[in-house]
Amino acid sequence: MIKRSFFGLVKPKLHYERIDEAQAEPVSVKASKNIMLSIEHPFESAKNSLLKIGDPVKNGQKIALTEKADDYLLASKSGRISNISPFVGILGKKYTVVTIDIDADSAQTVDDHFKSSSQTPSLEKARDLLSGLPGKPDFTVFFNTDKPVKTIVVMGADNDLLSITRQYFVKNNIISMKTGIDFLRKITGIHNVILIVPQHLAQVAGSSGATVKTVDSEYPSAHPHLIRQHVLSTEASSPDAGVAFFSAEAVSALGAAFNTGKLPLEKLITFISKDGTRRLVSIPIGTPLQDILNEFNENLEEGDQLIVGGPLTGISVYTTDSPVMPDSDTLIVQSKEQVPERSDAPCVNCGDCVRVCPASIQVNLLVRYLEAQQYQEAADQYDLFSCIECGFCSYVCESRIPVFQHIRLAKYTLESMKEAEENNV
Amino acid sequence: MFSTLKLTVSHAPFWHIGSSTSSKSRNILLASLLAVVPGCYQYGQAAVGVVTIAIASAIIWELLINFISRRPISVGDGNAALVGMIFAMMLPATTPWWAVVTGTFFAVVIGKGIFGGIGANPFNPAVLAMTIVMLSWSHLFDFNAALLNYQFDFNAVYPLVLSKAFGAPAVESFAVMDLLKGKQIGGIGSTFGIGLILGGVYLMLRGYIRWEISVSFLAGIFAAALGFNFLNPELYAGPGFHLFTGYTLIGAFFLATEDSSSPVNFIPMLIYGLLGGALTILIRNIGTHIDGVLYAILIINLVNPIVDKIRPKAIGKGV
Ligand code: SF4
Ligand code: SF4
Repeated sequence: MIKRSFFGLVKPKLHYERIDEAQAEPVSVKASKNIMLSIEHPFESAKNSLLKIGDPVKNGQKIALTEKADDYLLASKSGRISNISPFVGILGKKYTVVTIDIDADSAQTVDDHFKSSSQTPSLEKARDLLSGLPGKPDFTVFFNTDKPVKTIVVMGADNDLLSITRQYFVKNNIISMKTGIDFLRKITGIHNVILIVPQHLAQVAGSSGATVKTVDSEYPSAHPHLIRQHVLSTEASSPDAGVAFFSAEAVSALGAAFNTGKLPLEKLITFISKDGTRRLVSIPIGTPLQDILNEFNENLEEGDQLIVGGPLTGISVYTTDSPVMPDSDTLIVQSKEQVPERSDAPCVNCGDCVRVCPASIQVNLLVRYLEAQQYQEAADQYDLFSCIECGFCSYVCESRIPVFQHIRLAKYTLESMKEAEENNV
Repeated sequence: MFSTLKLTVSHAPFWHIGSSTSSKSRNILLASLLAVVPGCYQYGQAAVGVVTIAIASAIIWELLINFISRRPISVGDGNAALVGMIFAMMLPATTPWWAVVTGTFFAVVIGKGIFGGIGANPFNPAVLAMTIVMLSWSHLFDFNAALLNYQFDFNAVYPLVLSKAFGAPAVESFAVMDLLKGKQIGGIGSTFGIGLILGGVYLMLRGYIRWEISVSFLAGIFAAALGFNFLNPELYAGPGFHLFTGYTLIGAFFLATEDSSSPVNFIPMLIYGLLGGALTILIRNIGTHIDGVLYAILIINLVNPIVDKIRPKAIGKGV
């Protein structure tokens, strides 16, 4: 963990991880018994869904609860559905978890839906078939008629500290990324594709065929909002301009899919064990995290913390049976002693948060309203919705207030209120 | 089939820089010792007594407030002790115990507690308390009278009284170096300039106080004093004198920098500091009071919320 330097006069800095010149190849980890696909869709509506316990599932098959649903995943292994259950994630988001007992390796059956439709690719097909790929490519932005997309940004820089997942694809899979980028250009008709990479990968990024732009290593400069603001042309920097973001992994997966006619459903994860060792792991989407821990003999004890995502913006899960999601770039094991203490002390107005906030929010004032649950006031007067959710303010907070959690909760509450209102009229 | 291992579930971020309110209080207390220890050496047992009573009573008041308002015990953050210490630093060593205890009551209970505790006080609690006790029992805080029974090997007249009454030539005998070495009478922890400066620099470097405030406060003093001195060198002492007498240094490093009552944005910090410095000199030179630091700080505390509105727009909010 990066601590405050002795001289606190200068603004604290956090740096993104840099992939090693001689980064070892990813370790392939298998799913031992089952995979779990956690679909962002409430369980109640799963009652008369397409899926039944006992149904056979093929490798690459689309797992959706209803015919029209945008939220679906792709089965990374063939097998049989053994359970369908509800799951409530952070901030009360509702999921349905579909558990699939997998077939033996020799008995894997492959869904050929993609192969047949890949001859005539289109944006609709991509939306309906490919957003379950690793890196979770989001094609829905292209269907938003209010904000026509003019620019596609491919993120070869990682989104949080410690992770090297995206860098790996730029460094090692630039050819399949090129195929993926060409494919995106073809189905969208948008030629302005920008590949964002850290400085040290600028050279290899050149062969992607996209315009290469670099970001510095200081967190959170690779954040999409900041990329819009500082890296893209003025035209694309306004919040209303249509920009589609894809991760390097997603683009590479698209490329691999079209090169081979088979959907790649292995997720690449940067795994940080308790002792700080960093490894790359390639693992089928949906595999329980326990399988990764077993592979490396990582023993968790009571009070330890398992974090999916980076140290600043990730989510801590309560069971090692949580599955690998298409966008889980990082997995961190933190021992009990490393879990930072939080407090319910009030803000002392030290201003540290204000000085680090990349969105220039007066967090010291904002937090007072959030703590009093005056969310509307916080949004109207204190720029709640300017927050880009980088987590820096909580990281530096002298009173150790969970500022970031307050912010997420406030935004979520206001958004769901708005949604409820809209649904009522 | 879920495993039964109990993991810690908390919120992002999962790292923390390691700072805390208690370590900040500890460091400021430590830095204050650089001025307080020489003060105690100069004024002896009585000074030690005042400091101890101030800190102890401040902590007790805080406990009492916690108890009455049914809040968790907050003395652990060290802020009460710090307020007590800073209050003591401004007192003459001869202050009677009851005045010290009443003073810390004003600081901790009136200055901080009723506003909701740490972080919610609009004024620096110690400054507020000092102003109240000074107005209530002015004879106790007339440094000349209070320290009459001490024998000093230097001019034992409160320098600011001299300059006020007799103009600049009267204070020519105070060499800057002597002032810095504490060869002047004053509050227990307010006269040993070298200690205050070292402590202040330490706190600025470590980021425990905001350097912008201290530096601009001193700059404000310097510029305003220079201006007055330029206009009438006979009447008004030069910047060197003003920088190292009275509560200037303690004001710049320990009083104006109090977190809750000062701004957090860059430009506002500069305005706040400069204004504080300039007001100090204005009060010293043309006001009726001997020292202007305390009033100046109360005034800048008051304007702090307004000044702190000068800030960059949040992103996504137009230019
Ligand atoms: S998470 Fe905190 S630091 Fe980051 S943008 Fe939001 S308010 Fe600013
Ligand atoms: S860092 Fe924490 S204590 Fe300091 S001003 Fe921000 S919210 Fe308040």
